[in-house]
Amino acid sequence: VKNRLKVLRAERDWTQADLADRLEVSRQTVNAIEKGKYDPSLPLAFRISRLFEMPIEEIFDPEERTYPIQAEARTQDLGHEH
Amino acid sequence: METTDTSILGFCSAPLRDRQNQRRVTIWSVIWGVSYIIVTIAIQKGWLSSAAAIAAVIGTSLFGVATLLAYHRFLRETDELRRKIEVDALALAFGIGLVGGLTFFLLFENSLVSGRSFGLVFVAMILAHTSSVVIGRRRYS
Repeated sequence: VKNRLKVLRAERDWTQADLADRLEVSRQTVNAIEKGKYDPSLPLAFRISRLFEMPIEEIFDPEERTYPIQAEARTQDLGHEH
Repeated sequence: METTDTSILGFCSAPLRDRQNQRRVTIWSVIWGVSYIIVTIAIQKGWLSSAAAIAAVIGTSLFGVATLLAYHRFLRETDELRRKIEVDALALAFGIGLVGGLTFFLLFENSLVSGRSFGLVFVAMILAHTSSVVIGRRRYS
């Protein structure tokens, strides 16, 4: 899962330690999330969302996207099955 | 300026709560280890009566239980990445303990090793856990 945590943090001029304190996690956790090495749990993702006052999907972006053409093909497949 | 965590265990950046819990685990571990050594020596040297030896062994085991409880609290309250690293390390140590224990049992039953060698299984478990924690903290830093 890609994320904009580093950008959002930089916009507020916070260090990783500042953000870690606000989220009550270790700086290592913030660093790992920013680098994409670790995906946060749902509760932590919600805390991040609340802290930045943004919806989760504006901060985290699943790399596997479902494009409209794929969704349409899938809908047609389901139609054929019935 | 961002702080760079250069410690081997990556623990300098831990929240105060984690550091306090880790300190409790360390203190209880040391007490348990020291009491274990003292009781072992005291029993081997014959300094204790049977009743006193049993009481000493039970007392040492209680220190072990205290260590486990402190570690359980640390795991429960620590932040999620540290918990993941610890749980991964515990899984590895458990696997090595299970495989090593059964292997030892097979060897012991066939008189291929002495019972005293069983301590090696515990040493392997401790080494596996410690190295897994170090590698995990390095991997996510």
